[in-house]
Amino acid sequence: MIEFDIPPFLIYFLGAALILLLGKGKVRKIFLVALAVFGFVCVWQIQPHTGWVFPIFSGIELTFLHADRLSLIMGYIFALAGGGAIIYAISTVKESGQYVCGLLYLGSALGAVFAGDFFTLYIFWEIMAFSSLGLIWYEGSKRATNAGMRYILFHLFGGCALLAGIIIHYTNTGDIAVQSIEPGIGYFLLLIGIGVNAAFIPLHTWLPDSYPKATIAGTIFLSIFTTKTGIYVLARTFSGVEAVAYMGGAMCLYGVIFAILQNDVRKLLSYHIVSQLGYMVAGVGMAGVGMGVIGLDAAAMGTMAEKLALDGAIAHLFNNLLFKTTLFMCMGAVIYRTGKNNLTDMGGLARKMPITMITCVIAALSISGVIGFNGYISKGMVIHAAELKEMHILALALTLGSVGTLISFIKLTYFAFFAKNEHIEAKEAPLPMLVPMCVTAFLCMAIGVYPKLLYWILPYKGAALHYLAFELPHTLGTVELVLMTVFLFFMLGYFAPHEKITFDIDYLYRKAGRGFIWFCENPLAHFAIGVEKVVLRIADSFITFGKNPIRGIRMVVDTIGIALLKPFVFVYNLVIQPVYRHYERDLEEVKMRPAEEPLERMSIGTGVLLVLLFFALYLIAMLVQGWLA
Amino acid sequence: MDKKVLKGLLILIACAVLVVSAVFVFVLHSEHSELLEGFLYGAIGVGLFMITAKILTLIQKEGKQDD
Repeated sequence: MIEFDIPPFLIYFLGAALILLLGKGKVRKIFLVALAVFGFVCVWQIQPHTGWVFPIFSGIELTFLHADRLSLIMGYIFALAGGGAIIYAISTVKESGQYVCGLLYLGSALGAVFAGDFFTLYIFWEIMAFSSLGLIWYEGSKRATNAGMRYILFHLFGGCALLAGIIIHYTNTGDIAVQSIEPGIGYFLLLIGIGVNAAFIPLHTWLPDSYPKATIAGTIFLSIFTTKTGIYVLARTFSGVEAVAYMGGAMCLYGVIFAILQNDVRKLLSYHIVSQLGYMVAGVGMAGVGMGVIGLDAAAMGTMAEKLALDGAIAHLFNNLLFKTTLFMCMGAVIYRTGKNNLTDMGGLARKMPITMITCVIAALSISGVIGFNGYISKGMVIHAAELKEMHILALALTLGSVGTLISFIKLTYFAFFAKNEHIEAKEAPLPMLVPMCVTAFLCMAIGVYPKLLYWILPYKGAALHYLAFELPHTLGTVELVLMTVFLFFMLGYFAPHEKITFDIDYLYRKAGRGFIWFCENPLAHFAIGVEKVVLRIADSFITFGKNPIRGIRMVVDTIGIALLKPFVFVYNLVIQPVYRHYERDLEEVKMRPAEEPLERMSIGTGVLLVLLFFALYLIAMLVQGWLA
Repeated sequence: MDKKVLKGLLILIACAVLVVSAVFVFVLHSEHSELLEGFLYGAIGVGLFMITAKILTLIQKEGKQDD
């Protein structure tokens, strides 16, 4: 086999540059298919090693290609799902700019995955944020523009936190390798920065806000890279942190609860990204400390439960990309053919879009963890790891999350494809949409039936191979859970879609944001104007004083006199009034004089007195400073 | 068979299954009780999400798009 030792991001960045020269015809389509295949082949043949190291300052080296088992599995699934997204986009995307954004996004995600140091990771992290923003803004509507603005604000905040964490870590240790870091301020800033991308609660709101508003193809790209890169970096840096594991449990339940309430199909799927990320975050949190740094002694590290937890997290990431991409592709095809986004407007599509329906059902069964599909394998690994580590509350949260997932996907598939709707008009999705949908759906089943396909590429394959996915109690328990949930769903009829919007935490953010803008525009602006006036007045006084010190002193004395007497002038009218009037007249008279009037002569004695006064003030100041020291 | 009767019968069977599972899991603590846990998890999960959905209706508003 020919070996390329090229960082994969270069291939896609080069593709993004070339696509602008190819017009909009067949040549561009052929180029895109070739790029999708070539990119995957290039990633597939990378061997574990470190290369492309560039020293920039003394002690700092940027590493653009660090390949180990963890980065390689991420590379495989990114190149595969990204390639599928490129081919899918051929039917719907006309603008070359959107392809440029998509390719830069795919390339930078691969750049982040293969980055060997924090600074390289940060560079690609930011390119990801801005290129993905283009995919939201290309939709063109005001909703998309506003959502994109909120998206980039969130990611800039996360990027700043990440960079600050990296700088603090580097200042403390002098090391920039991507690895676990010592607790401290840098630790929390890094966790917040990664938490934004990994959609930690309550930093998740950008995701269900922006993904449904992107272009049809843009949503496919978005669903693949940002959050999964977050999970990958979390696995590298925060594996074995128990709080992270429980955050995963919270994400799993929170995401699924909000998903059940959604009517917009892409919003439902977006909340399910949060929920499924919960399984991955839980797996990372349950792994051993430092297990994300895969080295030669990897096999010796951690207990079986910890290895299974990390394997489960990465396996679920891999599987999630397959079934979630399929689901977004299917719903994208439905929106493309019907122009409808909401479940209340859909139904009756099973006969009109049969291939889309079959792939969607396969993906729904996969994400729900039904036996024979890939979600069953990876969810089972994470839940089994929680049981082995005796984290029973977490195991319960993850199991109940599966029930919620099943409820929302029965709802999605039933009301989109099987519910009665005689008025809907649609035809099957075009071939470039169907091909990637079928490939990913097939892989969902293939891994579900023969999980060793996945076990072989996991970071700790020994632990994965020991996991018995089809053990009787687990298999039977899953069958019972599925039967009971399906039965209750149809018997109770409680979860039908409705035209209502559920507020998430971002409602509070938006309120707080509006409050902040009001604060800036009103009290803060008034305060700033006041400060400006005072500063200008002081500056004027200095100018006046500089030009004519005697006049300046007179003005200060008169102003102070007026200020002191003004509150009393109405009370003690007879006594105070004449003195006050004197100061007032005097001040007006002094103000009327030109500043450049000839200086009044000062006697030598007065001058010496002033000099001595300043000297005495200086000595007092020095004395006080000496005491304080 | 009448649709209502069939529905009632199915609900009765489901209730019976749940009672048997609960007895095995919570009362008998049999070593085979884990074989019936799936039914309970399914029922608890659906109940939990129904209650949560009901509570969250308090913060819902009419409309199709969250602008």
